Amino acid sequence: MTGAPEPTAVTTGTLRALRTPRWFTGRSELIVVAGVLALAVGMTIGIVTMQVPDGTAFPGPQFFPIIVAAFLYAVGLALGISVLVSPRRAHVADDPTELSTDMLEDLGGLDATSEIRVVAPETLAAAHGATAPGGLDVKTVLITVGALVAFILALPVLGWLLSAAALFWVLAWAFGSARPLLDIGIAVIVSSFVQLAFGVGLGLSLPAGILEGAFPWIS
Amino acid sequence: MDQLSHLAEGFAVAFTAQNLLFLVIGAVLGTAVGVLPGLGSAMAVALLLPVTFSLDPTGAFIMFASIYFGGLFGDSTSGILLNTPGNSSAIATTFEGHRMARNGYAAKALGTSAIGAFLGGFIACVLVVFFAPYIVELAKVFGPAEYFALAVFAFVAISAVVADSIVRGLVALGLGFALALVGIDGMSGAERFTLGTPVLFDGISIIVITVGLLAIGEVIHVASHIRRGRPEDSIISPKGSPFLSLADWRKVILPYLRGTAFGVPFGAIPVGGSEVPTFLAYGTEKRLAKRRGDTEFGTTGSIRGVAAPEAAGNATAGSAMGALLGLGLPTSATAAMMIAAFQQYGMQPGPLLFERSADLVWPLLASLFLGLVILLIINLPFAAVWAKLLLIPRHYLYATITVLSVLGVYAIGSRTVDLWMALGIGIIGFGMRHFSIPLAPVLIAAILGPMAETQLRRALAVSEGDPGILVASPLTIVLYVILAAIVAFSGLQHLRHARRDRTATSRSVRVGAGR
Repeated sequence: MTGAPEPTAVTTGTLRALRTPRWFTGRSELIVVAGVLALAVGMTIGIVTMQVPDGTAFPGPQFFPIIVAAFLYAVGLALGISVLVSPRRAHVADDPTELSTDMLEDLGGLDATSEIRVVAPETLAAAHGATAPGGLDVKTVLITVGALVAFILALPVLGWLLSAAALFWVLAWAFGSARPLLDIGIAVIVSSFVQLAFGVGLGLSLPAGILEGAFPWIS
Repeated sequence: MDQLSHLAEGFAVAFTAQNLLFLVIGAVLGTAVGVLPGLGSAMAVALLLPVTFSLDPTGAFIMFASIYFGGLFGDSTSGILLNTPGNSSAIATTFEGHRMARNGYAAKALGTSAIGAFLGGFIACVLVVFFAPYIVELAKVFGPAEYFALAVFAFVAISAVVADSIVRGLVALGLGFALALVGIDGMSGAERFTLGTPVLFDGISIIVITVGLLAIGEVIHVASHIRRGRPEDSIISPKGSPFLSLADWRKVILPYLRGTAFGVPFGAIPVGGSEVPTFLAYGTEKRLAKRRGDTEFGTTGSIRGVAAPEAAGNATAGSAMGALLGLGLPTSATAAMMIAAFQQYGMQPGPLLFERSADLVWPLLASLFLGLVILLIINLPFAAVWAKLLLIPRHYLYATITVLSVLGVYAIGSRTVDLWMALGIGIIGFGMRHFSIPLAPVLIAAILGPMAETQLRRALAVSEGDPGILVASPLTIVLYVILAAIVAFSGLQHLRHARRDRTATSRSVRVGAGR
């Protein structure tokens, strides 16, 4: 394993290459630590204030939550310590975190030279200098979350057909579509198709909203 | 040979027009999500789960199972042609597969991988059918303590052993437990963490959790980098025949069998799916090639290096279905989703499933065979057609996934509060991706957590609070000993790599300083 700074120099093949720091968030992972500890505290309050029905025998409803809360305190602290001791990179796109890289390297006999690098598109972009390292696209993330919030608010009022079409259109635009006019058509087709296939076909009840009664197949 | 007559009856059910239709839909969908990088079969099952409520359960499960297998057929296509594996299960195939493609053997690599996927899955399914009664016999002696040990095994294996960072895996596990605890406790009737709102009395639906984490979280994560520029990928168009010649067959038959031999046992133990056995199979073929003096590996691309991991990948799916149906043990994220599906239909996988729901289980097993045949037919000659899916603009893809996610969540109970929860969990899922915290432990903990709690409390109630009962039977001791050995091995491995990384870094620093 080389400690070379630029991603192109790391040719372990698979996974380690993707682990090269692409943006240094340093210790921002402490947010996660705070979240885990907050969850543990919340659970503690929930356990203490829990109303246990009379006559519940020993391993009662609080038993397992106590274990889980203690577990959360422990892993929260452990994560905090590990972040403080060795600040490390945030997630790199498509880095498979579900499996241990160390283990896979051993199992596969990967040896830093002979494997082709399996390239995630994002890594490639970074290697070509297409992105400034250190960039999390906050704007697109906020648009995406905002579109979902707006959708949830609009759904009971506007109905499925309009709000789902709007959600599709906004996301397609936010994700980089260059043809917003064409997208309107595609968005309406997708949301109508869902209404027909799942609403009429499978009998899911999707809200009609302001289009109530406009078409016989919306209800 | 009871199994054969059961299986024959199963085939009779699976061959009805309706079930065949579900089988084909599942195969097509599974291959599609497999081919597309970033989408996986776990996400596909999560999205389909709520909209299949109105279907007959047999049809729904046939569809889910063929999605599972289809994902493993499709994932190598984009790996071979584009060098971007559709899923982590195809990484090992991609090494040699893409080399073959660059050397003009793309069609042959695709054919090898499709046939390997078929053979691996087929052999594993045959083994499952024959061993099913024995698995059930074994599971019948399981009491609460044994089930608890099995659940602990799954938790520790998925979070500590397989995950890249032990602490982060455990954080994910804890989050999953916490999510599953919300709601009214079934054994005592106490409200737990409901904040007093009736909305949470039934707990957080597993569909909300899975769609939020796997689909909405993924969409937000993609949003965080999709506009950062992406160079055009060049897809290698496969030419020639995907069918193997006799000489090729002679080369690949042993790797196929070796790969299957790695895959079958790993499907039955919870180590997160098919990554470990595919890498094992790849590594073995590579070492054997070195000993033979075979120079294809790492140069022109070896057909053996494609055959073995593919067979291993689908073999795990076969035996994972066996572990799922016989023991109720999910050994991968997709299998965990199928457990959630069983729970939605009010069934608990496990030994009783074979007795109580034989009319579901045997058609399901029979349809695994049919599904593999259909997948071979739609993948072997048409891999090039599937590769066209890679041309779908990603903005339409993710917009569609978002629309389908909100549809699925809304379909649970026609209430917007589920959508708010799914969005919240989606944001958490994005944070987890951003900070490299694995998602699979959350799913396993949320799905198996309630079972583990019930069994633990039952065991302790029987023993009147004496924790000794948890290690009282030989079976539990064996499980815990194996677990301890695996944890020790994995801890050593992490340590060794950490040390190697440190020395490598300090060396490069020294070189840098000397310049």
